[in-house]
Amino acid sequence: MRGPTTFRQYLRNVWDGFFTTLIGMRITGRYLLQKPITVQYPDERMPIPDRYRGIHYLEQEKCINCLACARACPIDCIEMDAIRHGKELEWVSFTLDYQKCMFCELCVYPCPKDCIHMSTEYTLVSTDRSEFVHDLLSFKGMARDARVRMREAEKKKAEKVAAKKAVAAPAPAAGTEGAKPEEAQEAAAEPAAADAEAGADLSGDEEAQA
Amino acid sequence: MEHGNYVHSLLDGVAPDWVPGWAVVVSTAAVGVALLIAFVAVLAMFSVWLERKVSGHIQCRYGPMYVGGWHGWAQSLADALKLLMKEDLVPIGADRVLFVVAPALVLGSIFGALVAFPFTPGFFFADIDLGIFFILGMSALTTIGVVMAGWASNSKWSLYGAMREAAQVVAYEIPLGISLLVPLMVAGTFNLLEASQMQAGWFGMKWLVFQNPFMIPAAILFFTAALAETKRAPFDLPEAESELVAGFMTEYSGLRWSFFFMEEYAAMFLMSLVAAVFFFGGFESPFTHLAQRAFVGETAAVADLPLLYQLTAGVVLFAKALFGVFVMMWLRWTLPRLRIDQVMTMGYKYLTPLALACVLAAGTWEAIF
Amino acid sequence: MSEATTQQHGNITLREERVLPSGEREFMLDVRTSDLEVNMGPQHPATHGVMRILIRTDGELVTGAQPHLGYLHRCAEKIGENVEWLQYLPYTDRYDYLAAMNNNLGYSMAVEALMPMEIPRRAEMIRVICAELNRIGSHLIMFGTYGMDLGAFTPFLYAFREREWMMALFEKICGARLTYSYIRIGGVFNDAPPGWLQEVEHFCDVFEEKHKEYVDLLMLNHIFVKRTAHVGVIRPDLGLDFGLTGPMLRASGIDFDLRRDMPYSVYGEMAAEGAFRVVTGRGEKGTLGDCWDRFYVRVMEMIESIKIVRWCLANIEDGPVIGDVPKVLKVPPGEAYVGIENPRGELGHYVVSDGGKVAKRCRVRGPSFCNLAVLEAIMPGTLLADSIAIIGSTDVVIGETDR
Repeated sequence: MRGPTTFRQYLRNVWDGFFTTLIGMRITGRYLLQKPITVQYPDERMPIPDRYRGIHYLEQEKCINCLACARACPIDCIEMDAIRHGKELEWVSFTLDYQKCMFCELCVYPCPKDCIHMSTEYTLVSTDRSEFVHDLLSFKGMARDARVRMREAEKKKAEKVAAKKAVAAPAPAAGTEGAKPEEAQEAAAEPAAADAEAGADLSGDEEAQA
Repeated sequence: MEHGNYVHSLLDGVAPDWVPGWAVVVSTAAVGVALLIAFVAVLAMFSVWLERKVSGHIQCRYGPMYVGGWHGWAQSLADALKLLMKEDLVPIGADRVLFVVAPALVLGSIFGALVAFPFTPGFFFADIDLGIFFILGMSALTTIGVVMAGWASNSKWSLYGAMREAAQVVAYEIPLGISLLVPLMVAGTFNLLEASQMQAGWFGMKWLVFQNPFMIPAAILFFTAALAETKRAPFDLPEAESELVAGFMTEYSGLRWSFFFMEEYAAMFLMSLVAAVFFFGGFESPFTHLAQRAFVGETAAVADLPLLYQLTAGVVLFAKALFGVFVMMWLRWTLPRLRIDQVMTMGYKYLTPLALACVLAAGTWEAIF
Repeated sequence: MSEATTQQHGNITLREERVLPSGEREFMLDVRTSDLEVNMGPQHPATHGVMRILIRTDGELVTGAQPHLGYLHRCAEKIGENVEWLQYLPYTDRYDYLAAMNNNLGYSMAVEALMPMEIPRRAEMIRVICAELNRIGSHLIMFGTYGMDLGAFTPFLYAFREREWMMALFEKICGARLTYSYIRIGGVFNDAPPGWLQEVEHFCDVFEEKHKEYVDLLMLNHIFVKRTAHVGVIRPDLGLDFGLTGPMLRASGIDFDLRRDMPYSVYGEMAAEGAFRVVTGRGEKGTLGDCWDRFYVRVMEMIESIKIVRWCLANIEDGPVIGDVPKVLKVPPGEAYVGIENPRGELGHYVVSDGGKVAKRCRVRGPSFCNLAVLEAIMPGTLLADSIAIIGSTDVVIGETDR
């Protein structure tokens, strides 16, 4: 087919050149008259589906500091730190470094309590690098009900200890009734004092967290 | 300068007695030049905005929307301001004189060509009997400017682009001129005003493009050659590709570059004006006919035409030329680019023989009928 | 008649041809010029990624071309030896980022080959739907950017309009638009949300209409044909010698497609039922194996992908979307190679496991890397202005070439 163009090919070229141009112009002309499909960002935005992998958010009350998400992350961008008080946690920090994060969602699946999620927020603009290390905590320290539970747990433990002591205490109480009732009273006073302390603590906490 | 020179008569009337005649003439010319520069500048800015909007809507997007409010109409103004404020760079080793003269020559030749145009039936800068001949000649001068720009830039790529562009323009001058011979034959005059006036009446059926069946291929050939002359797609190798840089315009920035840019849109407008006058009726349209009936009456001397009629006629011509510019833009965003050897093949082996065949056939038709 | 004499002045050779009757001597002038080395540098206006091609030209004629790679090397295979099996999945997205689902599929299949696991049928169907939709997306980019290389700016925008829709579909199912990490070892991460399958069907319907526009606007356009026909011809034997795969090989007329000839997932059933056909080049507008044929194969493959998606939509059933994968994944020792049909060719994953949580070796055979080698053979002898057309038609993604 190569070689000098025949007259037939010549005419064919002229015809093709003209008519394929017209066909192309018809297609583009049709789009010229249609409404554009773009939106004027940032005034208007496209709708984001629910499953979008955006910036993370943490349901802090559910989190048990098991570090499953930190271990699952391929780039180790999650770091968390909390002090354990019995069963309750006192949160220090839960940071996610968005300079490293590749939004792969591998941290969401291993969570046993299903508390870390990715939201539909995606704008991460800043002029300062430190702002990219997000702290996902909504509050530091302990949650109020966590603190309540901790105090109740402590109270229960103290009561158990006192009960054990009370059980052990009355046996020799027959011999030294004078001194023992004082001890017993002291022992009884301790939980009362602890109670008062707890009460004071509670009220103090309420004031602090109000 | 007998007809259509209001400015001269105005200045003559206003000037005190001791001002010599030649000074009035020179100041008339200065006013004319200023008007023309203003016109071309505004036209170029409008064309840039139009190009961006047309390309945007073809591509299912909006184009400029922000600057100035309604669809970004002031975008070109902002761009022009930016270009004016840029640093005036002349590259090291560049031929300074040629570097500075090249954009001026390129834009100046298009100005010169536009001088011969009647903008309205009563108002034009120079009434030249050899109108179209003059216009073709002046618009060909841009090639010299381009080669100067390529050479003076002291850059391999610029020179390469300039050489290609020169070859392309020279190749397409031939079919441009030959395809124009067809309406010239039918019209019988080089003068733009007369050619426009003879297309009056009959609701557009007297347009030159309908006078002869070979005018339509001639119009298409003229349009294609005009696309190549103005370096528009699909013939935009000189400015878009050329070994991945901007061709002969590479080393230019700021105001000098804006001259090249203005030249492109002014040349597009010029070619569309020529097509409008010689193929598509010039001033004449049902609107001008109505305006003529309303404001002038059937017979009136050309020099005494009232303003509203002139405005209507001018607007009609302008609209036709703008439509031509719009079609050029439409084609740019539809077609891919031709390779340089294909451009030359098309110019010499396709357009020129076809144009000659058109002239022969049209002439035969004219002779018979 | 005098004897012919030759004079040498530096680069110029004067050869005496003959003596004219008037007594004058006629010389032929030969100038030895040196070849010009042009760097099609790491940064391209033609968006193929960061690749450097050293082109040696004699004027306008190309006499040699040598691709230089490595500008996008990110040590993906080395990372594979340091992160756990599932953690490597996001890295697989990022080599051929235009066809991320296919990369995930290849890696997952390679690891699954070492594990005694059955993939649920619904997962297989969803995998194939996603892979084929991504193939369409990748070919759309090739279509758009090839037009842009050649000066047609509009088809790029139209291709991206459809691609936006495809990416919105993927956004709904997995939450990401480009690097999905969706097809995992054992199945897929989550099931399609309600209404997704209907939307895919709607996409197929609309896409078939738009496809006609693509063909009319660019593929059959006379100027485009003139720019790409007879350019960069790869003969079939040359293609086989260089180990080309995918559309580059099929464009030279060789009828080989991994989906039909070495089937994996549900492609075997589909091929047996004749649900799709393999598109090969036929030298319709030029020579067999030229740039137009490569473009043609990719554009027509989009329609075949639609057919595959429709078959899957018709045959999909409800069920689980992930197999029995332990929480802490330890792959039994062994080695496996699985090659799948990427939009660019055969993407192979060679995985070696020593029984631990981390791979011992994770080697990737990138199709673009192997396809690029052919440039050295086909570019000499072409014009410089055609080199862009040829490079564009190989459809390389440097992320895959360099990993």
